[in-house]
Amino acid sequence: MFSRKPNQASAEEEVLGTEAEEVVEQEVAPPVVTTSEQASSNGYYDNGSRSNISKPSIISEGFVFEGTITSAGVLNISGTVRGKITAKSVLVDASGQVDGELNSEQLVIKGQVKGDVICEDLNIGPLAHVDGNISYKYIHIQRGGKVAGKFIKS
Amino acid sequence: MAESNQQGCLFVGEGVVLKGNFEVPDIASISGTVEGEITAKQVLIEATGVVRGKLTGESIDIRGEVVEYVSATRSLIIRSTGKVTGSINYSEIEIEKGGHLHGDLHNLNPHS
Repeated sequence: MFSRKPNQASAEEEVLGTEAEEVVEQEVAPPVVTTSEQASSNGYYDNGSRSNISKPSIISEGFVFEGTITSAGVLNISGTVRGKITAKSVLVDASGQVDGELNSEQLVIKGQVKGDVICEDLNIGPLAHVDGNISYKYIHIQRGGKVAGKFIKS
Repeated sequence: MAESNQQGCLFVGEGVVLKGNFEVPDIASISGTVEGEITAKQVLIEATGVVRGKLTGESIDIRGEVVEYVSATRSLIIRSTGKVTGSINYSEIEIEKGGHLHGDLHNLNPHS
């Protein structure tokens, strides 16, 4: 969907909060939206089937996204997202970080999440840090996962 | 597990209802119902076990139900049949898929 030179990632990390970051953000925001549109128009999802039919949207390591992400498909986060995320399936990778609201049917957290989480199927990995109110249907926390907050089984 | 040496252990059989506060130096294995406080080194709540009140221990393994308060200084495991409602303190936690958790979760040493 969109490619980025690897050295750009490290440059971004160093200039967090500067103008450079915002420029990149604007460039990238539209493709993310396009991906979600494609996923919703092309993909048919039965209840219970894993949504690996469509290509995942990826926030790569070192990439910072601020704003709202909506996707009917799969979202892999290895970078940082500040804002609201709504997707069918979300993976927050070990290097991934989410600050804000997270709504997803299937959610796997291996990295850090700060904020309120609403999901059906939640899997928290051993190195994960989760801080916030969590509403879930099915939960699995692997040994070592750090979680704090209010848990509500819906 | 503790059959060979039951010194310092508490076993509550299925169907038994116990009310009061219990200090257990070693293992507390609960298959019945306990209303009150339990403090033990190791706590096992079996699938038929129910604890209403405060549960404190180093290692706590829950296959049954605990309502109100759980504090585990070392490890807390909620098995797939386990159900915990109320305030929970832990230093290391594991919840098997299907485990039920409803309440506030606190990490005793969040910076480790």
